[in-house]
Amino acid sequence: MAKAGSSWWQSGSPWIWLTAGAVTLSMLAVFGLVVLIAVRGLAHFWPADVFAFRYAEAEGRVDTVIASVRGTETVTAARLREAGLEIAADLESVDRHLVKTGNRDRLGHDFRFLLEPRIVEREQPADVVVVERTEWGDQLGFLREVKESGATVATGDEAWPALLARIERVADLRSHIRELERGRVAAINYALEQLRLEQRRYDLDGELTDARRADIERRRTALEADYAGVQAALEALYSDIGRDSYVVEIQDGSTVELPLATVVRAHRPNLMGPIDKLAFWFARLWEFVSDEPREANTEGGVFPAIFGTVVMVLLMSVFVTPFGVIAAVYLREYAKQGLLTRTIRIAVNNLAGVPSIVYGVFGLGFFVYFLGGSLDALFYPEAAPSPVFGTPGLLWSSLTLALLTLPVVIVATEEGLARIPRSILEGSYALGATRAETLWRTVLPMASPAMMTGLILAVARAAGEVAPLMLVGVVKLAPSLPIDGNPPFLHLDRKFMHLGFHIYDVGFQSPNVEAARPLVYATALLLVLTILVLNLAAVHIRKRLREKYRALEG
Amino acid sequence: MNDLNDTTRTHAVDLTRIRPRGAQRRLEDEDIVMEVENLSLWYGEKRALHGITMKLPRHRVTAFIGPSGCGKSSLLRCLNRMNDLVDGARIEGRILLDGHDIYARDVDVPRLRQTVGMVFQKPNPFPKTIYENVAYGLRLKGIRKRRELDERVEWALRAAALWEEVRDRLQEPAGSLSGGQQQRLVIARAIAIEPQVLLLDEPASALDPISTLKIEELIYNLKADYSIVIVTHNMQQAARVSDYTAFMYMGDLVEYGDTDTIFTRPSQRRTEDYITGRYG
Amino acid sequence: MDKLNLDSHISQQFNEELEEIRNHVMAMGGLVEQQTADAVRAVVEGDSALGRRVAEDDHKVNELELVIDEECNRILARRQPAASDLRLIFAIIKTITDLERIGDEAEKIGWLATRLAEAERPAGGYGQLENLGNRVRGQLRTALDAFVRMDPTAAVEVAREDSKVDREYEAILRQGITFMMEDPRTIRRILDVIWCARALERIGDHSKNICEYVVYLVSGKDVRHASTDEIERELRSS
Repeated sequence: MAKAGSSWWQSGSPWIWLTAGAVTLSMLAVFGLVVLIAVRGLAHFWPADVFAFRYAEAEGRVDTVIASVRGTETVTAARLREAGLEIAADLESVDRHLVKTGNRDRLGHDFRFLLEPRIVEREQPADVVVVERTEWGDQLGFLREVKESGATVATGDEAWPALLARIERVADLRSHIRELERGRVAAINYALEQLRLEQRRYDLDGELTDARRADIERRRTALEADYAGVQAALEALYSDIGRDSYVVEIQDGSTVELPLATVVRAHRPNLMGPIDKLAFWFARLWEFVSDEPREANTEGGVFPAIFGTVVMVLLMSVFVTPFGVIAAVYLREYAKQGLLTRTIRIAVNNLAGVPSIVYGVFGLGFFVYFLGGSLDALFYPEAAPSPVFGTPGLLWSSLTLALLTLPVVIVATEEGLARIPRSILEGSYALGATRAETLWRTVLPMASPAMMTGLILAVARAAGEVAPLMLVGVVKLAPSLPIDGNPPFLHLDRKFMHLGFHIYDVGFQSPNVEAARPLVYATALLLVLTILVLNLAAVHIRKRLREKYRALEG
Repeated sequence: MNDLNDTTRTHAVDLTRIRPRGAQRRLEDEDIVMEVENLSLWYGEKRALHGITMKLPRHRVTAFIGPSGCGKSSLLRCLNRMNDLVDGARIEGRILLDGHDIYARDVDVPRLRQTVGMVFQKPNPFPKTIYENVAYGLRLKGIRKRRELDERVEWALRAAALWEEVRDRLQEPAGSLSGGQQQRLVIARAIAIEPQVLLLDEPASALDPISTLKIEELIYNLKADYSIVIVTHNMQQAARVSDYTAFMYMGDLVEYGDTDTIFTRPSQRRTEDYITGRYG
Repeated sequence: MDKLNLDSHISQQFNEELEEIRNHVMAMGGLVEQQTADAVRAVVEGDSALGRRVAEDDHKVNELELVIDEECNRILARRQPAASDLRLIFAIIKTITDLERIGDEAEKIGWLATRLAEAERPAGGYGQLENLGNRVRGQLRTALDAFVRMDPTAAVEVAREDSKVDREYEAILRQGITFMMEDPRTIRRILDVIWCARALERIGDHSKNICEYVVYLVSGKDVRHASTDEIERELRSS
């Protein structure tokens, strides 16, 4: 037996098992991670059934609680007793449900716990309505009336179709308003600000002649007239959108009348079949990735964060690639190999190990305050005292992350340069190519897959960084996207939103922790997917480059 | 039996046209394209060549043979200054190309390498298309017109006996060719820029026998237009393709003369030992 | 392998070299054949000048032998021929030795012809010698044709012919002995005639050798020192 054991040992099988086991564990970890965040995140958008509980409150009162169950856990009875709750003596442990009641405006909370033993009765009322609102979260209850300009137009069974139709109308009006505000109003404001800056610039330069002043004044008047027109249109729309209202009876039997303008959508989960629910799920998922956040990021979508992440990463790639490649080319092709280059390589490699927050501090100190401050003083004196580049923004974030990922690109590119067969270089020289010609026509194209590898690693690292960004440009809620229709279209000075920071913000700083938790998972999933898409794009490009410039094997 | 009065003699040959016995090539009669004068080469502290002096004839094939490390490749790489690329390489002596010292200060080295082309041991086509490989040197020379490029590429591929095999796949990557074809492509690339001298550094050592013979045949056909210097490990190859053979040993030029003489009655003991396989 | 493709090497140069060397062998064969014919004619017609010219032209044959030798040498050294190429070079080296010997025999006959021309001509002339000469010339030509066409079957024909040549030679020998016994004054002339016949018989033997080289060249079989029947069997079996 011992002999058999030792021969098994000698056969090398344990080693294979060990290595294969390590791989399996890694795979399971990755798979488990993705599955966990996918399930937790995606389940959030599923329309849960709503129950009407008869619940014995502590005071001996029995109330109706209309809510959907969001989670169930088992707690020991002793703990509850310690907390001052009366629990039957024979119970060791108690099931506790986390339910979403909504109606934060009336009840003061969105979520509450229900103890299983105290639930007297539960039923699923078919016509319970869940209304998503632009403020105060969801509203759960029974639809009673729909009013137009204060007059009741539909009650009872007719109320639901009337509500849906009016929600559509409201959504239409709202998108009109938004178009105006985002487009015309923003453009006019931007132009006015530019005018102000222009005037200030002339003023500072002492060139503000009367003619110029008159010209600016005229343009301003024109813009203000334009603005007044838009404002009037907006006011009309606002009064239009505020025309309708609806009445809902909530769990305590009181009725609430609210303007329809606040409604995003409404559904009756208990009447929905699986297909309806699926369609609803997709609609909410789409809203999540394509819409803007509401209510301190706990509702709505994360589109600005996706957009900001992608723009920042792309911008970073634009900065880091040429810089890293040029540095690597110098180190490998031109510099005389010796103590100095070795030192530089060690320094570059160590740079990759510096904690990212340190880069954030550096970025804030050097880029934002020093470079940005200098830029403002030199080029934007008219904007003072408010800074243009002297404040955290997209440009500085990209540059900071470019610096952070630079070592990766340098190392990968150098690796690629080193792998180019000497014979290919000699072939080029032998045809009378100079060093520069060889570099340009042969070396760089052949090293391009390696550069892409470096870039892939850089993107993967940069897209996931949050800490340095908090110092140099990311905000909880950005008023506008970094790319819009106002020239120069790409606004490097603007602050932006970022998925990673969004997770942090929603997870830790949300006023409504229970509402935000699923969003943390959903946003995390989205972050992973965004990085995946960026990486896959880069991998695809690299594959094509590799095929094109495959060095001859053997 | 044959009709003995048949007067149309099938075997009759003009005897005066037979090359007389012992009429071999003589270096003294040749037009010289390159001259090596007392050339020594160092790689750092190590001396690789010891005062080599030799003349390379125009439109002939000259072979350098010798055991590994004898300096034959080093000498070859001196002829188009490829050794400049090696750190610590240093020479003494002169190399003349048509009477001009190629190591003179004012020499344009890339230009020199276009005049003295080189093909390496392992086929080293660029990872580009077949067409672009041949056009590489042409573009470096500043030829931009599509038509001229097309013509020169076709001409070079024809000269390298590769045109018929690749005419329909010029836009395919050069890596799709076989080893022998790749080597001919590299030769086409080298002759596309019309050098005077073509240096071949063991051009067939990585190839199979048939591809080797094709390369050798190509060399034979190219010598009408180019002066060829070939380094080879393979003595038989030197015997097959060359007009003149130089035997080198430990950085010295031991014997240099016409190939027939070297391979039938060498004058040096070391040459005899090497080509008869007694060396060592 | 029933046909040798001597002109289909990748190396065009090698093809040309082989073609050239074969042409030179043919030229040498032609020259030798001409020498033989002229020598016999000089004897038969008593043409002393022709005999002298034949004898003096032998150096041309010798020179050709040396040239071809050198070419073979060069091919061996530079081309390292193998298989059929090797057999060809080997056969050529052997063939030119035989051709050179035939040239020597012709030279001998040439000198004998100058002596015989001064001597008294026999009443019947040299008819028998002429016959023998024609027969031997036929053998030589067959052998050379076999070499050109790479035709091994000629070997049998030449071998058959050789036994007839031997018989004719013996007839001449017997007749000469008879004459010499009858009239001792003719001994000197008859001996010269016998020398001539002897030389012709040797030429026949050399022709037979050449045919054997052709067999070796084409089929790779060595049929030297084999009887006619054995040669036939060998050829049939291949």
